[in-house]
Amino acid sequence: MGRFIARRLLQAIPTLFGIMLISFILLRVSPADPVKLMVPSDAELTEQDRENLREALGLNKPLPVQFLDFVTQSATLDFGKSFYYHRPARDMIFERVPNSIQPVLLGLLVGVLVGIPLGFISALNRGRRSDHAIRVSSTLLNATPDFFLGLLFVLFLAIQLKWFPIGSMNVVGEDCVLCWDRVWHLVGPVLLYANGGIAFYPRLIRTEVLEVLSQDFVRTARSKGLRERVVMSGHVLRNALIPVVTNFGGILTIIFAGNVIVERVFNWPGLGRLFFDALTQKDYPIIQASLVMGAGLLLISYIMRDITYALVDPRIKVR
Amino acid sequence: MAATAVATEVAIRPTQVRRASAGFWSDAWWRLRHDPTTMVAIAVIVALVVLAISADALADNVFNWSFSKQNLEQAYRKPTFDDPAFWMGADNLGRSQIVRLLYGARVSLFVGFFGMLVTMTIGVTMGLTAGYFRGRWDDFVVWLVSTINSIPTFFLLLIIGFMFRLNAVVLPLFLGALGWLGICNLTRGQTFALRERDYVTAARTVGASNVRIMFRHIFPNVIPLIIVIAMIDVGGLILTESALSFLGFGIQPPQPSWGNMLSDAPQFYFRGAHLIYFPGVLISVTVLCTYLIGDGLRDALDPRLRGSFAADRKG
Repeated sequence: MGRFIARRLLQAIPTLFGIMLISFILLRVSPADPVKLMVPSDAELTEQDRENLREALGLNKPLPVQFLDFVTQSATLDFGKSFYYHRPARDMIFERVPNSIQPVLLGLLVGVLVGIPLGFISALNRGRRSDHAIRVSSTLLNATPDFFLGLLFVLFLAIQLKWFPIGSMNVVGEDCVLCWDRVWHLVGPVLLYANGGIAFYPRLIRTEVLEVLSQDFVRTARSKGLRERVVMSGHVLRNALIPVVTNFGGILTIIFAGNVIVERVFNWPGLGRLFFDALTQKDYPIIQASLVMGAGLLLISYIMRDITYALVDPRIKVR
Repeated sequence: MAATAVATEVAIRPTQVRRASAGFWSDAWWRLRHDPTTMVAIAVIVALVVLAISADALADNVFNWSFSKQNLEQAYRKPTFDDPAFWMGADNLGRSQIVRLLYGARVSLFVGFFGMLVTMTIGVTMGLTAGYFRGRWDDFVVWLVSTINSIPTFFLLLIIGFMFRLNAVVLPLFLGALGWLGICNLTRGQTFALRERDYVTAARTVGASNVRIMFRHIFPNVIPLIIVIAMIDVGGLILTESALSFLGFGIQPPQPSWGNMLSDAPQFYFRGAHLIYFPGVLISVTVLCTYLIGDGLRDALDPRLRGSFAADRKG
C-alpha cells in the first residue's frame, strides 16, 4: 500500500508542473495586463508610475524567473495582498473555507441519503413504474441548469412558501455558525447542493446494482440459501457502493469550484462568492490564489480517490 | 369476399420482414424511427434550429420588434396575446422576450453544436494519434489529459471570460479546448485495441499510409460510440454556456443568450417571474432533448447497452 501511495504521489509531480504552467501562462502571459486590471483606465497615472508598479509586482523580470517566483509563491501559499481589501489573499481564502464547507457537506449528506435509496428502488423494481419515474426525474434534474433550479427554489420555496430566506447566511446582526437562524438560511443552498446527488446517484447506483446482481457470487449466495436480505446488504450493497465511496474525493472540488453558482444564487459568502467578487472587482491576487489552490485540491482529491479505490476494492491490484 | 381480402392483407403486413441484408446504419435508422421518445426529441431540436435560423425574419415580419428595441413603458409587461411581440412578456427594459429568446436559441444551439465539433475534432485527433503511434506522443497526450483534468474547468472558464470578451464563436473554441478529454480517452482506448486487428495489418501490408489507416480503417469503428457522446456533449456545452452567461462571463449583452437573460434574475423575483421561467425552461428542454437523443442513438447503434444511461458515460 505504501508503495502504491508513493507511486501515485510521484505521478502527480508532472501533473502539478503542468497545472502551474497553464495557470502561469493564463495569468501572466495573457493579453490582460495585471497593471491595467489593477488600475482603472481613467486613473491619472504616468507611464513611470505604471513601470514602478510593474517593478513592484515583479512583472519586469524575465519570464522563467517570473515562473519560478510564481511556483515559490504557490508553494508557500503567499499570493500577495488583495488589491481591494489590502489583506493577504491566503487569509481571505482560509476565512471563507468554513462558510463553504457547511452547506456542501450537508448537501452531500442529503444527496446521498435520498439518491442512494432511490437508486436501489429503481434497480430492484427494474422496468416497473417506480423505476421509470425515478429514471425520468433524475434525467430531468440532470438537464436542468443549477442556477435555474436555484431560482425556482427561491421563487417557490422561499418567496411563496417562506421556507427559507432569499439570501445570505444570517439575519442582520446575528453572527452564529450553529444556531436555528443559520439552519434556516442553510435550507436553500443545501437543497441545491443535494440536487447534484439526487440527480446523479440513482443512475449510478442503478447501473451498479444491476451489474452486481448479474454476478456469479450473488447467484452462489442465493443458492447456498442465504436470506434475500442478507444477500442484498452483505453482497450487493457493499459492492454497489464502491463507486460512491470513491466519488467522495470530489467533495474537495465542490468546496472550491462547484459553488460559484450556488453561492451567487443564494448570496452565500463562501469561496465561490469570493472568487466571483474577485473577478468582477479584478482582484488579481485572489483570482490567482483561488485557481492555484483549487487545482491543488482537485489533484489531492484525485489521489485520495485512487487510494480509497485501492483500499475499498481488493480487486484493484497495486500496480 | 372483400372482407377476407382485407383480412389477409392485414394479416400479411406485420410479417413483412425487413431486407435481411440491411447494413449497420440502415439497421440503426430503422430502430431509431421506431423509438417515439427519440423522434420527439429530434423534432424539438429541429424545430428550435429552424426557429433560431429564421429569427431575423420572424422578428421583422411577425413580431415587428428587434432584439434590442426598448420601450420602458412596457417594462415587466406580463405575457399577453394582444401584441405578438409580448406573447412572452417584456423584460426590465421593455424588450420583447420572445424575440430575445429566439436570438438566444441561436447562441445556445450554435455554441452547443459548434463546441461539440471542436471537442470532437481535438479529442478524436489526439486519441487516434496517441493510440496509434503510442510511445512519446502517447505519454505527452496522457500527461496533457491528466493536467487539464486537474484544473477546475469552470474556474478556468470564468477566468477566461474575465480576460477575453467572449462571443458565440470564441467561447466554443475555449469550451472545446478544455472539453476534449473524455473523447480522447475513449478514442485512444479503442484505437489501442483496433490497431492490432488483422485488417489493419493487411492495410499496412498493401502500403496504406498511417493517416489512411487511422482515418479510413480505425476511425469508422469508433464513430458509433462518438456519435452518442457527441449528442450528450451538446447538452453539456449548452449548460456550461448558460451558466457562464448567467454569471456574466459568457455571452455579453446586448447579444441575448438564454443564460444572460437570467443574470438579473434577483430583480425579477417580485415583478416578472415570467422572465425567469421562459429562458430556464427552454434551456432545460433543449438539454433534455439532446440527452434523450443521445440515449436513443445509443440504443439504436448498440442495442446491447439498452437501459444504461448515455449521459453517465460522458466523463
